[in-house]
Amino acid sequence: MSAAARPQAQEQSAAKRFTRIISDNRVGLLIMITVLFVTIGSLKPMFYSTDFVIAPMLTNIAIFTVIGLAQMMALSVGQMNLAVGGMASAGALATGIVLQRFDAPLVVGIIAGVIAGSLLGALCGLLIARAGVNAFVVTFAMNFALLGLVPTVYSWASPDAAISVDTPGLAELGRQTLDQVCIGAMCGPKGVPVLLLISIVAMILIGALYSRMRVGREILLTGSNDQAALLSGIPVARRLITVHMISGALAALAGIMLGASTGSFTPAIGQDFMLQSFLGPILGGTLLTGGAVSVLGTMLGITLTVVIRQGLLIFQVGVEWLNILLGLILLIALSSDRIRTVVGQRNALRQTLAKPQPPGPGAPPSDAAAAQMESTR
Amino acid sequence: MKTALSRFLHSQNASLLGVIVAGAVLLTIQSSGTFLSSNSVQTFFQFLAIPIVIGLAQMATLAVGQLNLAVGAIGGFSACFAAVLMADAGLPAWLGGLVAIVVGLLAGLLNGVLVVLTRINGFIVTLATMTILTGAQYALVGTRTIPASAWPELASIGSARPLGIPLIFWFAIIIAGLLAYFYRNALPARHMLASGGNELAATLTGISNGRSLITAHALSGLLCGVAAFLALASLPGANKSVGGDWMLSSFAAPIIGGVALTGGGVAVLGTVFAATIIRLVDSARAAFQLDPSWVNFVIGAVVLGTVALERVRATRRTPKSGRKATPPDAPPTAAVRAVVQGGTP
Amino acid sequence: MTDPYALEVREVTKTFPGVRALDRVNLRVRPGEVHALLGENGAGKSTLIKILTGIQPADQGELLINGQPQRFSSAQEATAAGIGVVHQERNVIADFTVAENIVLGNTPKKAGLVDWKAVRQGAMNVLDMLDFPIDPDTPTRLLSPAQTQLIEIARGLYSESQVLLLDEPTASISEAESELLFRVVHRLTEQGKSVLFVSHKLEEVFAHCDTVTIFRDGASVLESAPLADYTRDEIVDMLVGRTLARLDIPDRNPDRTGAPALELRRVDTQTGHQGINLAVHPGEVLGLYGLVGAGRSELARAILGLDRITSGQILVNGTATTIRSVGDALERHRIGYVTEDRKSEGLFLDQSVSRNLTVTVLRRLQNAFGFVPEQAQRDLADEYIQELDVRVSSRDQLVGQLSGGNQQKVSLGKWLAANTEILIIDEPTVGIDVRTKGAFYQLIWALATAGKAVIVISSDLAETVTLVDRIAVMSDLVITGEVTNTHDYDEMSKAVIRLVHRDQTVDVGTP
Repeated sequence: MSAAARPQAQEQSAAKRFTRIISDNRVGLLIMITVLFVTIGSLKPMFYSTDFVIAPMLTNIAIFTVIGLAQMMALSVGQMNLAVGGMASAGALATGIVLQRFDAPLVVGIIAGVIAGSLLGALCGLLIARAGVNAFVVTFAMNFALLGLVPTVYSWASPDAAISVDTPGLAELGRQTLDQVCIGAMCGPKGVPVLLLISIVAMILIGALYSRMRVGREILLTGSNDQAALLSGIPVARRLITVHMISGALAALAGIMLGASTGSFTPAIGQDFMLQSFLGPILGGTLLTGGAVSVLGTMLGITLTVVIRQGLLIFQVGVEWLNILLGLILLIALSSDRIRTVVGQRNALRQTLAKPQPPGPGAPPSDAAAAQMESTR
Repeated sequence: MKTALSRFLHSQNASLLGVIVAGAVLLTIQSSGTFLSSNSVQTFFQFLAIPIVIGLAQMATLAVGQLNLAVGAIGGFSACFAAVLMADAGLPAWLGGLVAIVVGLLAGLLNGVLVVLTRINGFIVTLATMTILTGAQYALVGTRTIPASAWPELASIGSARPLGIPLIFWFAIIIAGLLAYFYRNALPARHMLASGGNELAATLTGISNGRSLITAHALSGLLCGVAAFLALASLPGANKSVGGDWMLSSFAAPIIGGVALTGGGVAVLGTVFAATIIRLVDSARAAFQLDPSWVNFVIGAVVLGTVALERVRATRRTPKSGRKATPPDAPPTAAVRAVVQGGTP
Repeated sequence: MTDPYALEVREVTKTFPGVRALDRVNLRVRPGEVHALLGENGAGKSTLIKILTGIQPADQGELLINGQPQRFSSAQEATAAGIGVVHQERNVIADFTVAENIVLGNTPKKAGLVDWKAVRQGAMNVLDMLDFPIDPDTPTRLLSPAQTQLIEIARGLYSESQVLLLDEPTASISEAESELLFRVVHRLTEQGKSVLFVSHKLEEVFAHCDTVTIFRDGASVLESAPLADYTRDEIVDMLVGRTLARLDIPDRNPDRTGAPALELRRVDTQTGHQGINLAVHPGEVLGLYGLVGAGRSELARAILGLDRITSGQILVNGTATTIRSVGDALERHRIGYVTEDRKSEGLFLDQSVSRNLTVTVLRRLQNAFGFVPEQAQRDLADEYIQELDVRVSSRDQLVGQLSGGNQQKVSLGKWLAANTEILIIDEPTVGIDVRTKGAFYQLIWALATAGKAVIVISSDLAETVTLVDRIAVMSDLVITGEVTNTHDYDEMSKAVIRLVHRDQTVDVGTP
């Protein structure tokens, strides 16, 4: 939206800072999560059961956060990855095959799956950046193709179209919680799944990429204005390919995590990833237009949706209501953004109108005036 | 006449028609003729009606540079809503059919209004409404299947075979014909295409882009409602899975048929042809006894191939003599933003 | 009581968040007159056009058409009230035919459907009026930019309005086509219709207009005065204000004996440039002057490797080289390009000043693992904020919140931060207020004195004459000649205009 409508970030008076914190998506999310968590828990104490509720919930958060990050990568350049589901299932498939057919160690299997995902992502990126095809179409078609290819390969690889493997470490990785992981006498906290560690590592890596590294910075600038990026010497095409490659790798990782958590790799992996992948980043404040991301926000957005899901489950409300609720939350979150922008513009306009008239014709208006005129030219 | 013919021969539609003919011949040979038996032809067209209509529903939003992820959700919800009313509230069948269409129209209208009011990307808005309507559809019917015996009059439409071709296919063709006429001659349709082609130019000539967006989404919803009507008429019953597989295929037909995602154009005939090709792929899959998932793979590859080919063709078509790097219709982006965002109060 | 004015603008004010774009401006157009509306970029002309055509409402003030107060809420209402417009940008629907584009917005209809026969007939009538021989059924996408501009003009004429607004209609069409347009304009005024003509080409204004209104910085500094009462210099003074006149032009004598920093030898490009010879030496400011559409920015793009060079040579510091991309130009040859449209091509408006300034140095600042130390970025940003005197509240302020002048400083600053030796600056002061312009000129001179080679691309003759050492004139994708700048406006403008209108050229200024 118009630059003038943005909150004046530089005015650091206490009141303004407070409003800023309040209007930060992440704070809002944190408050909502806490309120929901406390309310549901006080109505149904069962909600605090570490084994039956907290641990599965954290597992879901771990998996969905990674898929949210995959989508966030694409959103950071103002594009989308509609194939997150397909890439997740392809990554899981690759891991499953490597583990089952070649009896490879767990790490090799995981790496193979992630590489498969990143190759698929790179292929999308290549088509988008070099051939100039719309990202929506490319990832959409890729999803279609994978939707057909993955089950076919499954049915070829295994008679019951699912791969169950008992590679050492897989079950521990996928289903154990930290209290079962002990170094000497030191055991981790109860109810925290090992998978959450993977997702935290992914968050740290992606966070560092965007906030500290040149490549991440260039990705964000490309998302902010690709023409300006190109004319400032940023290799835009290469950055787009990088983005889709990492997106594919993360999607595959999420698929593998889901496979590990259930113990079997099936074509069903990734089927409900698409909506989740958008919900996390968008609720967390990642702009659809590109140029701004929030890793923590993505995690919090995902957490909110998972808490709602668990809450509905515990009240034995049908899962269909989850969809209705999530859709409504999405609409409300985005509409409130719009309302905030409009109100901000109105206030700015009112302030300008309230200013005293400039001296007379011929006296040039302020520098800022010239800028604004030019922008509305 | 000659120019019209040669234009057709060079158009995308000609290639699509060629593929259809080749596919039909291939299938006929493979099945040693049974593909052309009246039974097989009837089945073929029976299951072609809905893909055509949902492809056109998607085309309506693509024409203004938007898209509608909720095609299947609107269709499924409308069908189930009408089915519940007919089965549980005793609504007469003809009224039930009408309800399905009207509910679709209203859902599309809602999409359009949300897109215009919130100025949120249409993708996200329809993602949200898709989620909501899918949930609502499940909440309505749960795990039960409402049998078509609750609306015998509609079901008789579905089983009617005038001239040996299913009536619902004739319906789809008539709708396509009406739509082609509408896009060619009706003022609101021309305005939609103008908005989709060049937002700034539309604004400057007094065309309301907001109205175009709302009209396009409403039209898309209306067509989803029609598809729901056809589903009620032709399926053995209505349950939570109606519409579940419409969304993806709704994109394939217009994209293969030559509708640009950037908006500004429609291709009714191309969409119908492309839907037919997809149907042929499905028939071939059945004939060769392949896994159903192959169809998706083929569609994905074809969609990607079509778009890539179109890109190549577009770059080659750019006149080399043109000394300006920018095409005549390329609006200055900054100016577009300024006018389109700040233009209307 | 009859009002003598076809169009009257009374005390119109338009405010945008943070700024007054128009401050109580007045304008009166009599029936049958051609009225010139002049002003620098950003003076408020376009805002007034938008108000007159119903695209934006005025906050205060009145619009009268034939004495009747009007208030438009859409472009259609303005058309209905008798205002026709030819917009500056070429706004056509590429998929529509020529005929439909001409009638767009006023499409003839019959029973709710488009009356294609009337569409064709109406379009033919206007095309005949313009002597523009084109089949109305031609798809618009096949037209050249100049032809597309004619379609835009035809659309303005189609509505048969009482008052026709022409917003720089001749920017991209040929002389002959312009003449045709003015013939139509005079025919309209003979019929008692009025024309409001916005242009940067003073020659056209003096040749065809009766009265003049001048805007400067959102206010009308000259209101509806007979053009014959003023000389060209007086008009220019009112356009730019007195600030520029008072600017002390330094005595500059750049040394042109050594190897040029950047030299083009008989360069042909993909865009169609032919035989371009151009050289700029360290310490020199070279002006590349030409009208809009002459191909100046496109030449810059070719130098940077964005467009293909089909033949000829580029030499940097005397060595022939190939430049593959902007990054390549920066890293290997220390060339920077300050774009013309800073908002869409030069800046990241939703990012901070610091991020914008350091975009070109990320590669240099990164460590072995690809991390960029935050402190180094902050220091560098602070350094250039200070050096260029960018008015910001902090380095973290968003660039979109800055004024035009400060934005331009950031746009330039990112290249200075990258230690460029050769700077191509495209329209350095577009949309910048008059006082800041002077400061910008001083800055460019200082850069040249410090040994940088600077090419200034401009379509503003006054600016070129003030700023540069040598003027190369580009017209229709060729360099038609070069002159050494004496800073005497009259002398230079004559020499330059002669070069602009020399369509074919053989002799090219010695590089």
